Amino acid sequence: MARRNERAAGIGSRAVQIGFLLGILVLWYLATNRWGVNRLLLPNPIAVWQQLLDVLKSSEYLPDLRVTLTELLVAFALSMTFGITVGFFVSRTRYSIRVFDPLFAGIYSIPIILFLPLYVLFFGLGPASKIALGATISFFPIVLSTIAGFSNVDRTLVTAAKSMGASDYQLFRYVLVPAALPVILSGLRMGFTIALLAIIGSETIASLAGLGHHIVQLAEGMDMARMFAYIAFVVVIAVLLNGIVSFLEARGRRWT
Amino acid sequence: MTTRDAAVRIKGVSHQFGEAGETQYVRALSDTSLDIARGELLCLIGPSGCGKSTLLNVIGGLMTPTSGTIEVAGKPVRGPMPQDIAFVFQENALFPWNTVLENVRLGMLFQGVPKSEHETRAQKSLEAVGLADFAHHYPGQLSGGMRQRAALARALSLKTDILLMDEPFGALDEQTRMILGEDLSVLLASTEKTIVFVTHSLGEAVFLADRVAVFSARPGTIKKIIRVDEPHPRKPEFVTSEKFAALRNELYALLHDEIRKTVAESARSRETS
Amino acid sequence: MTPSLRIYLLRHPGVVRLGVIVLILIAWEIAARWFIDPLFISPPSRVFLSLGAVWQTAGVPAALRLTFFELAVAFAIAVVIGLTVGLAVGLQPFVRRSLLPIILLLYGLPQITILPLFILYFGIGAASKIAFGVTHGMFPITLAIVAGVQNLKPILLVSARSMGASRWQVLRWVIFPHMIPSFFAGMRLGMSGVLLGVLLAELYVSTAGIGHFTTMFTENFDPTKLFGLVTMLAAMAIVLNEIVRRAETRFSRWR
Repeated sequence: MARRNERAAGIGSRAVQIGFLLGILVLWYLATNRWGVNRLLLPNPIAVWQQLLDVLKSSEYLPDLRVTLTELLVAFALSMTFGITVGFFVSRTRYSIRVFDPLFAGIYSIPIILFLPLYVLFFGLGPASKIALGATISFFPIVLSTIAGFSNVDRTLVTAAKSMGASDYQLFRYVLVPAALPVILSGLRMGFTIALLAIIGSETIASLAGLGHHIVQLAEGMDMARMFAYIAFVVVIAVLLNGIVSFLEARGRRWT
Repeated sequence: MTTRDAAVRIKGVSHQFGEAGETQYVRALSDTSLDIARGELLCLIGPSGCGKSTLLNVIGGLMTPTSGTIEVAGKPVRGPMPQDIAFVFQENALFPWNTVLENVRLGMLFQGVPKSEHETRAQKSLEAVGLADFAHHYPGQLSGGMRQRAALARALSLKTDILLMDEPFGALDEQTRMILGEDLSVLLASTEKTIVFVTHSLGEAVFLADRVAVFSARPGTIKKIIRVDEPHPRKPEFVTSEKFAALRNELYALLHDEIRKTVAESARSRETS
Repeated sequence: MTPSLRIYLLRHPGVVRLGVIVLILIAWEIAARWFIDPLFISPPSRVFLSLGAVWQTAGVPAALRLTFFELAVAFAIAVVIGLTVGLAVGLQPFVRRSLLPIILLLYGLPQITILPLFILYFGIGAASKIAFGVTHGMFPITLAIVAGVQNLKPILLVSARSMGASRWQVLRWVIFPHMIPSFFAGMRLGMSGVLLGVLLAELYVSTAGIGHFTTMFTENFDPTKLFGLVTMLAAMAIVLNEIVRRAETRFSRWR
């Protein structure tokens, strides 16, 4: 009896979710087509869909996509390299952790996007400022999780390996790295997600190219339907990228 | 005991943690001396914090004592000696991301055993502890008792003369301890290893050991050494014999006051902190 | 290094940390004075001395007050929304099962993409900044409250009911106190979200807020004033974060 109620509740909540999403779509359609909501505020969902198809077919998004992806990959490569290296060396002694960990955590707690004007002033409106900001912001979750990963290796494992005569290199390769990897991978995933947001954000605020910038252009041109389509497009790209990274993280964890 | 018979010589070893006057100051061991004969199984037993694990770590070169010396196989101990000494820890010493077999092989890699011997040695030691069928399992898939068997297999495959075991069955339930104790006795009867075994359990000490060193409360020193004269491998019937009961009672009498002292001391220190 | 200095430093990593910060400031000072074009970077000494001038720039104090106002209002609204939705979702298992996945889905979307939309809808004034701050801050608070209510041990509810507590009494004396630490943890994250949302909106477009002045100082290539203003904003962010963090520690003592 309880199991049947469980299943009923499961189906019920699923129904509510689907109903909710469908309801939004229906309301949207009615608002623009029946209730006379200004098309300049809320575009017709059909028009948005058509614009989306047009965007995908025309591949006019390619140059912007290329810019954004390049910025993202370079920024992430930088933050990954620096973050893991610095994090590893800080994790070597308890004292250096006590000195540096609060420093990194403290800086990370303020919205580093604040420094965007400084980066724009220094690097200009081009990709360099986005890369610099993206690398700076994503450095912190990576370095913090690297420190946490390496410093939380079970002491007994290290003692056991040393008692069996492991060299420093063997200790690093066979004990420290596999032990720290899950935490580091999750930090990398966080860093990637944050880098993506930072880069799209800085493209929105101050840029000459890129996906964020394109949305701004469409907004300024009041091309609502196409803007909505572009927003949907960028959201899908972001979700896809994050999904890939999460998948890689899970794969990486299974190896250890 | 002549130098030739003594596998381990402990001379005047004291150890303290921290400096006098600091909050973390602890005198763990006080002037402990002991000779351990080749091939004997010596148990260290005593109340919590009496320094028995500290002494084990000092013997194995994992810690340098604040005073005193240790000699193993005639050489002074200055650090880990993986060729001569192998450890079995209480828990968490198996690498969770490696299978049982990989764990055993890693130990040999660290010690420097030539790769050609890895497979045969690993197989033999896994069979000896009864885990041959679980070679490709991960520690997370095994019970506590099986994990400790795996840890023992890893230590055995290193073919050291000395084996140091720090409460290896401490995290296991009573019944598993019983079985593992019996199996261990059978296994060790066929080797000539010198074994130092730290335990809390009176019954375990009497069952396994040739000699039992009883420690006093902190700062720990050896109060008395009791000899258990019973041939190896020890049979399950030994446990219900009168000789066993008498030895166990003797241990109890020696330990009880020390345990009471330790409990009183820790309550006192918790009040003042 | 004398032995006593060494021991002092070993016992006070905070001092060494301060030393690291000082070293960074010195490196910045040297680089800005002698190596980099003063059009792009300003040494910390000059920035520090010009803080007064920044404050006296027409409109800056008003802009800082406006930004603070935006932050406070956005935070208050986010807390109210987060609390109501969080309790509504957390207390009813069916509602939770239905709506929580949707909330999580929305939370996972990159809100930055709809920033231009917010400006179109709410205008370039304070309203859009507040709205964007609210949407960033309300999710962590909601989720924290849902989690806080959820991990209440059922045995506590059972023992309260067995002693005859009414539904209201259970809510007031068992669920509510249990939820407080999670609530404050959520507020800490919510404050970060609100800071992020409001600042993003300000930087995007602003006529009277600090975003206006960051744009102005950037376009005029005035790194001194820009660094100064950013420092003031960073200080505001640190203070606000610290207030919420202290509140969280104080109210989470029983954990």
